[in-house]
Amino acid sequence: MKSISRKKWVKCIAFALATVFITLAFMQLVYIKYINVDLESIIVREYRESKSFAYEVNKAISTTYKILESNTIVEPGEINYFYLIKDDERIFSNAPIYYRNFFERYKDTFFSYENGMSTIGKRINSDLIENPHGENDYTMYIAFPDTFMEEHQRLWNQARNISIPIILSVILCLVLSLLLLIYLGLVSGRKIGEAELYTSWMDNLYTEIILCGFIPMIIWILTLSKVLYYDTSVGYGLSDRQIFNMCLIGIVTVVITIISILAFLSIVRKVKGRNFYMHSIMSKIVPIITAYIKNLFDGNKFKNYPLTKRLHKRQVTFIILSAILVLFMLLCTLVPYLMILPIIIEAIIIYWYVKYNNETFDEINEGFNESIKEQMKAERMKINLITNVSHDLKTPLTSIISYVDLLSKEEDLSEAARDYVRILTEKSNRLKNILGDIFELAKSTSGDVNLEMEMLDLKKLIEQTLGDMQDDIEKSGFQIITKLPKDPIYIVSDGKRLYRVFQNIIDNALKYSLQGTRIFIEAGKKREDIFVILKNIAGYEMNFTAEEILQRFNRGDKSRNTDGSGLGLSIAESFTKVCGGDFKVDIDGDMFKVIISFKNAN
Amino acid sequence: MEHTRILVVDDDREIANAIDKLLRMEGYDIIKAYNGLEALDVLISNNIQLILLDIMMPKLDGLSTILRIREKKNIPIIIISAKSEDSDKILGLSMGADDYVTKPFNPQELLARIKSQLRRYMFLGDMGNIKNSSQLIVGGLTLDKDSKQLFVDGEEVRLTPTEYKIMDFLMTNAGVVFSAEKIYEKVWEEPAYSVENTVMVHIRRIREKIEINPKEPKYLKVVWGIGYKIEKY
Repeated sequence: MKSISRKKWVKCIAFALATVFITLAFMQLVYIKYINVDLESIIVREYRESKSFAYEVNKAISTTYKILESNTIVEPGEINYFYLIKDDERIFSNAPIYYRNFFERYKDTFFSYENGMSTIGKRINSDLIENPHGENDYTMYIAFPDTFMEEHQRLWNQARNISIPIILSVILCLVLSLLLLIYLGLVSGRKIGEAELYTSWMDNLYTEIILCGFIPMIIWILTLSKVLYYDTSVGYGLSDRQIFNMCLIGIVTVVITIISILAFLSIVRKVKGRNFYMHSIMSKIVPIITAYIKNLFDGNKFKNYPLTKRLHKRQVTFIILSAILVLFMLLCTLVPYLMILPIIIEAIIIYWYVKYNNETFDEINEGFNESIKEQMKAERMKINLITNVSHDLKTPLTSIISYVDLLSKEEDLSEAARDYVRILTEKSNRLKNILGDIFELAKSTSGDVNLEMEMLDLKKLIEQTLGDMQDDIEKSGFQIITKLPKDPIYIVSDGKRLYRVFQNIIDNALKYSLQGTRIFIEAGKKREDIFVILKNIAGYEMNFTAEEILQRFNRGDKSRNTDGSGLGLSIAESFTKVCGGDFKVDIDGDMFKVIISFKNAN
Repeated sequence: MEHTRILVVDDDREIANAIDKLLRMEGYDIIKAYNGLEALDVLISNNIQLILLDIMMPKLDGLSTILRIREKKNIPIIIISAKSEDSDKILGLSMGADDYVTKPFNPQELLARIKSQLRRYMFLGDMGNIKNSSQLIVGGLTLDKDSKQLFVDGEEVRLTPTEYKIMDFLMTNAGVVFSAEKIYEKVWEEPAYSVENTVMVHIRRIREKIEINPKEPKYLKVVWGIGYKIEKY
């Protein structure tokens, strides 16, 4: 059973049948409309109990009253009931006898109005009868003759004979299609032998878009009676025009039904797959909105800032109170003189809000100034510290260097002592260099630097640096290859510091390159940026990262005993930054690369 | 002949003693003082030819001391200070000092600077007013256009013809910065094309001849990324 019910062709047939049944239901309803059968006849068995008859009575009442009003006798042919209407002077009637009991004989269809009181026949749908208007001082009797009632009851029965089977058929069609839809809903998305839910391309659409598939059906149901209620025939046949319309309605209904069923099944599959909401536009928008609102009212981020927290709390209170007041205001439109109340309250709230916020703002400003002052103080202390430490280190070193020099001039030193003095001289000089570098670095990173910024030619600066270092370069035996542009590269910078930058990186390359390799220096413009790249092949394995080499005192080759301070690259980096540039080191295998870049000076 | 007498002023007694020993070996007479006020006292009662002066000292600091000395005397003053910023040097020199040596100093360099200042002091004294129009003087540099000689603090420095021309051009326009191209066109009298290195190498050679510490030149300066100049004094 399960295997059959899940077969594709079974599903297709069910789908087709559901479509057909729904369309048939539609068509039959339209048919009833077209042949103009009173649908009331389905529910009400007797004509005299029907609304139609009640309307007939109402018509008779107003027609009869008009007779008195216009003072003219209506032609007998126009009136198919007995009436009598009289006031103090006049009397109009078509009844053979002018007494009340003549009318009262027709007890089911009788209506009277006398002394402002109305009496209505037993079985007439009295709720719908409208009392005659105008002055009270008239009397009216109305009664429908038996022949009239019999004729109408016959027609009523005829209508019942046509409408009841059709309605039953419509109900049957709807029930069948409903059953088919339930079946389809149950098996939709299931395939034989597969536990996994099967989805179609439609299911990838957002839920809201699929729901739109029901819109044509809704519009169709709402407008069908109005749009195509066209050219009703009085007889029991259909006109050509109506048959044509029916065909048209049928086709449109089929299309709309298919769309609706597809949408329905897709929704069913979504519900089964538990992504009816998950896969909807709503589910995308709602979290954003809730997050936004939450963020707006979320005081957590101010947790550590008591002053701003206070501001935030006050703000939330203000917004909520204002919102309540707006609602209150709307209520006040009912009682206009209360309107003054929310205005007064709002004024009080605004006063409160502004007053206390201003106080908090003042506090914040104070705190801000305080922290700036403190920061400046700390900055100054740092600079003072550097200066003092610098002095305190340099003074004893001066003595050391001076006395070592005096010692070296002593003539009666032993060979060993002379050797010691030589080492002392060397080391104290190295110490002097390191100290110099440290203080330079400390100053440039502390922010206490006097820059002499001027427009200069970077290309010229590189050439000057190379010329300045020519002796060192020749001594080292390395060849430096430059690739510089023809035109000057103008930048605004501090020339002395930039010279130190290039001196340090070239010095670094000369110290650590592999013998016999070349050192490359390239400079140029790349879009808005000015760059200088130095490349060399390291003479040892670079088992460190770019970040590590820029850290203070780090040297590529830790075992090597060289005379530098180990601060060369750090100083180069720091000075480049102070001059407004960017300093990057790139290590690629044995290639060591320094990239210095500046924003174009325009 | 009377010995040259030098006044050493430093609040650090060890440094003052070390300088004392160093200079005595070179045959100078030394008087020591440990703050500015003492230095001024010494100056009143002694004939001093040169002063070495620390800046950071108690009682009266070095800069104020210089101002007081300069009210009366024109003797050479060399500042010896741990303050190594450019701004400190400029301030010291503008107060009237003749040279500025940063601590820790190289004793040999200090000696050279002292000798240089003394020579200049004596040399200028010798010259008196006989300075003739063919001489170009910038600080301690004297260029004699007639004999095509350059004197640094009175001592002749041997220059090649090209080096002489460069110095002539730069000293004539002391304080003005010239690009390598401009210098090349003036000196070599040829159109300049990629001459930065050539000029720079010459500048460096001259510097080694005329500067006591070529790494911190006093006269011939490179303006990085722009050109070269002779500092105007």
